[in-house]
Amino acid sequence: MDSRVWLLVTLVFYAVGALHVLLHAVMRRRVLTTVSIASTLLGFACHTAALAQRWTEAGHFPAVGLRDGASFLAWVIVLVFLAVYVTTHVDASGLFAYPFSFALVFVANLTPASERTDPMLRSLYLPVHTLLAMFGYGALFVAFTMGVLYLFQEQELRSRAPRQFYYLIPSLERCDTIGGRSVIGGFGFLTLAIATGLLWNRSLHGRYWTGDPKEWAAVAAWLLYVTLVVARYRAGWGGRRAAWAAIVGFAVVVFTFAWATLVPGVTVAAR
Amino acid sequence: MIVVVGLNHETASVAVREALAFPKERLPEALARIRAEAGLDEAMILSTCNRVEVYGRAQEPVGPAVAAFLARFHDRPLEELQPHLYRLEGEEAVRHAFRVAASLDSMVLGEPQILGQVKEAYEAAEHAGSLGSVLNALRNRSVAAARRARTETSIGRNAVSVSHVAVELARKIWGELRDRSVLLVGAGKMSELAARQMVRDGARATVLGGRTFEKAEQLAAALGGRAAPFEALRAEMTQADIVISGTGAPGIVVRREDVEAAQAGRRHRPLFLIDIAVPRDIDAGAARVPGVFLYDLDDIKSVAEANLRERKKEASAAEAILEEEIREFVEWRRSLEVVPLLVELRQRADEIRRAEVEKVRRRLGPLNPEQEQALEAATSAIVNKLLHPPTVHLKEMASNGEHAEHVGLIRKLFGL
Repeated sequence: MDSRVWLLVTLVFYAVGALHVLLHAVMRRRVLTTVSIASTLLGFACHTAALAQRWTEAGHFPAVGLRDGASFLAWVIVLVFLAVYVTTHVDASGLFAYPFSFALVFVANLTPASERTDPMLRSLYLPVHTLLAMFGYGALFVAFTMGVLYLFQEQELRSRAPRQFYYLIPSLERCDTIGGRSVIGGFGFLTLAIATGLLWNRSLHGRYWTGDPKEWAAVAAWLLYVTLVVARYRAGWGGRRAAWAAIVGFAVVVFTFAWATLVPGVTVAAR
Repeated sequence: MIVVVGLNHETASVAVREALAFPKERLPEALARIRAEAGLDEAMILSTCNRVEVYGRAQEPVGPAVAAFLARFHDRPLEELQPHLYRLEGEEAVRHAFRVAASLDSMVLGEPQILGQVKEAYEAAEHAGSLGSVLNALRNRSVAAARRARTETSIGRNAVSVSHVAVELARKIWGELRDRSVLLVGAGKMSELAARQMVRDGARATVLGGRTFEKAEQLAAALGGRAAPFEALRAEMTQADIVISGTGAPGIVVRREDVEAAQAGRRHRPLFLIDIAVPRDIDAGAARVPGVFLYDLDDIKSVAEANLRERKKEASAAEAILEEEIREFVEWRRSLEVVPLLVELRQRADEIRRAEVEKVRRRLGPLNPEQEQALEAATSAIVNKLLHPPTVHLKEMASNGEHAEHVGLIRKLFGL
C-alpha cells in the first residue's frame, strides 16, 4: 500500500484515541481506556508501516520536509508516551500526547511530501542525527507536559475545592520526578544530536560550524537546558519553578526550531 | 429459589438494627435453628452495623417464617419488626445479594469493608454446614462481580471520610508517604486517626505536646514516633512535610510568621498543613505562603463531598456491570432447572434402547464382537440424534425462563 494510505489510516486511529481520551477525561475522570489504548497501538502499527513504506519510496530516511518531519515527530511522541505509560503508569500525559500527535499527523496528511533527492540525504548521519534530535524533543515534550500537569494539580490543591484535574493528574511529587528525569533524558539526547550535527557538518562542509541559524537555535536550547539541569540538581529548584522552567524551555525550543526551519535560506538538513 | 429477608440502614433505625444483630459466637446456633424452624435448605446470615440479612434457599416462599424466626430469636414482637423487613425472592434476591457485595447498597457508597464482611458471613455459614451448592455459587459470582465493579469503575477510589481525605490529599502532594515526616500539633482523636494511616504508609510521626506532655508522649509511642515540646514548633515544622493540627486551644496556635519562618528553611519543598481543630488552630493567612497547602475541616469536608459525587457518578457504571453478571447468574440457575428432566428423558430413552437390543440379541443368537459393536453404535446414534434437538432447545428456553409450561408437555409426550 501507498504510504499516503497508511498515514491516513493512522490519522483515523489517532483521532479515535484522542477523542476517547478527552471525552473520558471529562465524563469519567479517567484518561485511558481499552479503546484508546487499542486504537493507539493499531494506529502506531499503521504509522510504523507508513514510515517504512515512505522510507522505500523516498530512498532516504523519512524525516525530510514538513510532511515526513511532522509524521516522524508524532511517531516518536507516541512511542515516548507509551514508554512513559508502561514504566510509570501515569496516563495523564495522554491529555497532551494524544491531541498533539493527532495534530502532527493531521498536518502531515495535508502537506505534500518533499521530493528532494540530495546525495547528502543518503548519509548515515541523517537517521542518526534525526533520531537523536527527535527523541530529545520527545523527552522535552514529556517534561513540558509534566510541568503543565504539575501547575494544574498545584492550582487544584491550592484552590481547596478540587474539581476536574484533581482526579486525573498524579501527585505533585510524581509530576516533578518524571519531569526531572525527562529533562535529563532530553538533555542527553539533545547533546548527542548536536554532536552528530557538528560531525555531519564537517563531513559535508569540512568545518564544524557553518553559522546556520539552526545551529544557533540548537546551541541556545542546549544552554537553556544546561541551566535547567544545574538549577534542579545543584540549587534544588524543584516543584513549581522547575515546572515553569520546563514549560518555558520547551516553548523556546519549539520557537527557535520553527524559526530556524521556516525562515527561508536555511539549512543543513532541512527537516 | 433464593430468598433474602432482612433490614438495612434505609429501612430501620440503628436501635432496631442493634436489636436484631447476630453476635459472631451465636451464628452457628442461629444458622442451625433457622434451617430447622424456617424450612431453609441452605442459609447464611449477614450481620453488620448497617444491615441484618438472612440469605437462603428454599422450595417454597418462606418470608413469613424467616421473619417469625428473627423475632423469636431476638425476643421481639413480630409486629415491631414487620414494617422494617424486606423479603426478596428469585431474581430480586440475587440482585440484592450482588448489590450488597459490591457496596452499592451501603450507607457510604463504595465503602470497601462490606465485601470482607460478606465473605466472612459466607465462611461462617460454610463452617456451620449450612452452605450448599446454590448459596456457594451465589457467593462466588457475587464476590467476583463486586471485584469486577471495583476494578473497572472508580466506585471505591476516592476517599469520603475526613481522615482518609487528609491522607489522600497528602498523597496527591507527596506521592508515596514513605519516609515523609508528619508533625502532630496536639494529641486529638482525629489527628491520631489520620496520622495512623500515614504511619502505616511508612511516614514518621512527631507529636508536639504542651502542658499535657505525657499525652503527647503516649501518642508518639503509639505511632512509633517521638514527642517534642511545643516551643520547638518552628524547628520541627522546618523538618516536617505534613502538619496536622488539632488542639482544643481557643485561638490561633500556628501563626503565619511561624509558617513563613519554617518555609524559609525548606528549599521550596511543599508543606501540607491540615487544620482539623474547631476553632481553627492555623492562621488562614498561612495559605498565601508560597509552597504551602492549607486545608481546614470545612475544606476537607468539601473534598469528601466532591469525592462522594464522583462515586455516585460511577455507581451507574458499576450497576451496569452488575446487571450483566446478575443476568448470567440467573440464566445459569434457570438452565439448571431443566437438568432433572433432561436426565430423566435420557434414562428413559436408554432403557428402551437396551430392552430393544436385548430382544434383537435373543432372536439372532450369539453375535461376533464386530456385529455387537455395530448394533450398539446404531441404536445409540438413533437415541442421541433424536434427543439432541429437544435437549438444546430446552436448555435455551430454560435460560430465557420460558421452559415452565413446556416441561409438563414434554413429560406427557414421553410418558415420564
